[in-house]
Amino acid sequence: MSRYLTLSALAVLFLFPLVWSGWASLEDPSDYLEMARFGEGLGTYATNSVLVAAMTVTGTLVVSALGGYGFARFDFPGKNVLFLATLAILMVPYATVLIPLYVLLGHLGLQNSLVGLSLVFVMFQLPFALFMMRNAFEALPRELEEAALVDGCGTFLAFTRILLHAVRPALITVALFAFLASWNDFFAPLILLNDGSSFTLPVAVVSMTQQTFGAIDYGMLQAGVMVMAIPCLVLFIVLQRHYVRGFMSGALRG
Amino acid sequence: MTLTIDRAGRAARSRPPARWWRSRKAQGWLYAAPTAVIVGVLFVAPLVLVVWMSLNRWPLLGSATFNAPDNYTKILDNPLFADAVVFTLKYTVLTTVLLSAVALGLALLVQDRRPGIGFFRTAFFLPGAVGFAAAALLFYGMLNNDFGPIDPMLQAIGLTREPVKWIGTPNMALFSTITLVIWRFAGFNMLILLTGLQAIPTEVYEAARSDGAGRRQIFTRITLPLLRPTLALMLILSVTGSLLAFDQFFVFTNGGPDNSTVSMVMVVYRDAFFRFDLGGAAAISVVLLAALVGLNAFLMRRLR
Amino acid sequence: MRRRLAGISLLGVLALTAAACGNGGEGGGTQAAAGPVTITMWTRAATQTQSERLVQEYNKTHKNQVKLTVIPTDNYQPRIAAAAGARQLPDVFAADVIFVPNYTSQGLFLDVTDRIAALPFKDKLAPSHMKLGTLDGRMYTLPHTLDLSVWFWNKDLYEKAGLDPEKGPKTLKEFAQQATAVQEKLGKDGKVHGTFFGGNCGGCYVFTFWPSVWAAGAQVMNDEGTQSLNDRPAMLEVFKIWRELYEKKATGPTAKEEQGPTWTGFFPKGEIGVMPMPSTTLGLMPKDMRIGVTPIAGPDGGESTFVGGDSIGIGSTTKNADAAWEFLSWTVGDQAQVEVMAKNKDVLARTDLASNKYSAEDPRVVLINSLVGKGRTPYALRFGQTYNDPQGPWLRYAREAVFGDPAKLPQLNAEITKSLQQ
Repeated sequence: MSRYLTLSALAVLFLFPLVWSGWASLEDPSDYLEMARFGEGLGTYATNSVLVAAMTVTGTLVVSALGGYGFARFDFPGKNVLFLATLAILMVPYATVLIPLYVLLGHLGLQNSLVGLSLVFVMFQLPFALFMMRNAFEALPRELEEAALVDGCGTFLAFTRILLHAVRPALITVALFAFLASWNDFFAPLILLNDGSSFTLPVAVVSMTQQTFGAIDYGMLQAGVMVMAIPCLVLFIVLQRHYVRGFMSGALRG
Repeated sequence: MTLTIDRAGRAARSRPPARWWRSRKAQGWLYAAPTAVIVGVLFVAPLVLVVWMSLNRWPLLGSATFNAPDNYTKILDNPLFADAVVFTLKYTVLTTVLLSAVALGLALLVQDRRPGIGFFRTAFFLPGAVGFAAAALLFYGMLNNDFGPIDPMLQAIGLTREPVKWIGTPNMALFSTITLVIWRFAGFNMLILLTGLQAIPTEVYEAARSDGAGRRQIFTRITLPLLRPTLALMLILSVTGSLLAFDQFFVFTNGGPDNSTVSMVMVVYRDAFFRFDLGGAAAISVVLLAALVGLNAFLMRRLR
Repeated sequence: MRRRLAGISLLGVLALTAAACGNGGEGGGTQAAAGPVTITMWTRAATQTQSERLVQEYNKTHKNQVKLTVIPTDNYQPRIAAAAGARQLPDVFAADVIFVPNYTSQGLFLDVTDRIAALPFKDKLAPSHMKLGTLDGRMYTLPHTLDLSVWFWNKDLYEKAGLDPEKGPKTLKEFAQQATAVQEKLGKDGKVHGTFFGGNCGGCYVFTFWPSVWAAGAQVMNDEGTQSLNDRPAMLEVFKIWRELYEKKATGPTAKEEQGPTWTGFFPKGEIGVMPMPSTTLGLMPKDMRIGVTPIAGPDGGESTFVGGDSIGIGSTTKNADAAWEFLSWTVGDQAQVEVMAKNKDVLARTDLASNKYSAEDPRVVLINSLVGKGRTPYALRFGQTYNDPQGPWLRYAREAVFGDPAKLPQLNAEITKSLQQ
């Protein structure tokens, strides 16, 4: 019983900031109206955010599932170097790579494009996603794959038909985190997008809450935080069973 | 191109796997190719450019002039950076210890399947859904002395008499920031630790219990040692994340009061975007990256 | 097997489409040989209202179109830096006038000296904005929006505190007396305070404290902006008066921690007796609030103001210089100034239009407009990193002067000078 008391007290502490913010944002509902009309209209920014999130999630899933399988089941020259290079992405200060990235995207014709932004997000998600997928594939019994190969499937067929289903919890976890990262990130879209009509939600929300001399409109801010957070919270709760299984399926063993 | 590959593919199907692309090596490469392209083009290439920038005086517009190793030597003359190194190390140690402790506590509390435990896991994990910058702004509002709800609540239950200077003194600013970080990340780390806890076979516990081991003994003798790989992973993630801390200070404390909470990446940011010293900022980044790679290699070797 | 290959070629196709989309986007930016041109413009969120009005009116009445992008204020400088680094500056962009000398010296703006010389009202443009946009005799920017620091006082609170509601402070000392009176009479409940200031905000200090120094006939820097004179008696006296106000608790308890986000938020709630405010906030005050406006004074009189706001120039990487200039010169023309700016109570970029058919409606607006010629905008190449940046030396200095240990000031002032000369 005392365990439940402790748990409840902790849950109150963890949930309080979210509940307060939601409640405070309703104090003056006109903030939501004002926000909906800001700039190009909230719809434009939300659409951009959804597009970027969709591309980021798709890209991350494709790249990390293929890569994870390759790293888990094959030996090839340069494997370790590539894996370590991917992990090094975690270790570089975010702000510094953005200017070179911006220049580079220009050369690729991807400056000021949501596609370019999504590719950058895929890159920043890769360390986590690849690590997760590699471990998930490693945790699968080899027999599963061998059985498929004996049945006459090529490895790619075995991969798409059987193995991908087996690592579904890990895929969902990777997708969820890719979504959260691309949905919430502020700095990359700020730097990489030139055009107000292609801004994503975080940039728009920060723009609309700022006034002269750095003054912040708190009503708007809370409304903005809520608009951004609610889809994440819903996804989080809906997918709860899956990502817990994703973690549990040994995907994050050291 | 598609056509030729397709024909080759059909040919390959009808014959035994002797062609080069059927070899395990080549297959492995094909699977890893998208990763290699993304990492190569979007990470390694910009990184090479950062290294090149660090060897030049790099103006915003106009052409760069080679000046190595000036950008590196002047890091030592930067008093703000020297203070930032000390502060960031202090912050990293405190955050890592506290975050690990809280996450471990939470994980132990929710590890057993009981009715309603899913709700608590979700509750602890939920703050992770809020963007970090947004979370920092949220805390800024919540702890505001003028309209935030925390001060009146503390006063109502008699814990404090007057508004607390949450970010007004160096120690309080650090404390408030670490609270924010724990709130935002404890759930994620809890989940990682939960993975490790679930991987410990129940037989081990049963055996220990039948040998007469107490709760505390089980924890120190069995749980902790078997949890070591998972703890190591968490440690590496937390140390790396803390050493690169930026948003929490940039948004929440603004480096203040009186430069007491300036992290290393804030100095990079200031050099690049306020002082337009792109070469200098690149040099600090290169040093940071080298230090982190070295540190992580060391940690992995020691902890495994 | 076939599936795998299909998968790979799909990736190839994806990459190709991606490239195509990107190219399409870029193609839109280049100038068409004839016909209307769309130029891009950036502005910071702080001054977007004024920019939006101007752009709307221009697009309604012209063939060429302006596409405005609003960027969060705190991140405007990084955004400009990144764009410049990639040679991708917008055709036209506004910038905090304080940063303009630095931007100009970095080559971010196109030289428009000859174009300005052809304007019939070239001598009537807001003088301090023009001065900051000039480097080595060449001119790069026009005034875009003006935001002046002035003292606001709350007439209702003055009445309740037994002060004459129609008489605002004429000197900084009177300001302090009146603030103290409001604090003593009305401050018991902890809600109302005599005055307020942004005590942990470098930009707030320069904007609200320096005019008192200028009003006393003194300087804060040398003309070249390479030496700090903030350790001279005039500045120290101003600091001393504010320090006493803080020590008497007449400033509101959170003044010391105020980083900027809420510093203008207390006055409109009716919680502050008298304080320095940005003139642009006058139009945003509650309709039923009775507010007096008076110029910032020195300790014993005089009047001055900090002429802030934005300047606007043409990005040096533009391909649309002519279209960009057509828009810029229109924004400072009679029509735009009177029918867009003055109509909305904004301060005008031209001194010759200070009294116009709209300004007569509100004497406070006339007063603010008349200050444009008297006020100053301090010039320094390294202004932002010295004074605005929270990690810059000025904030340390000002905080020691108001809350801390005055013995540390000489050394910290040397730090300011060092930063200015970097």
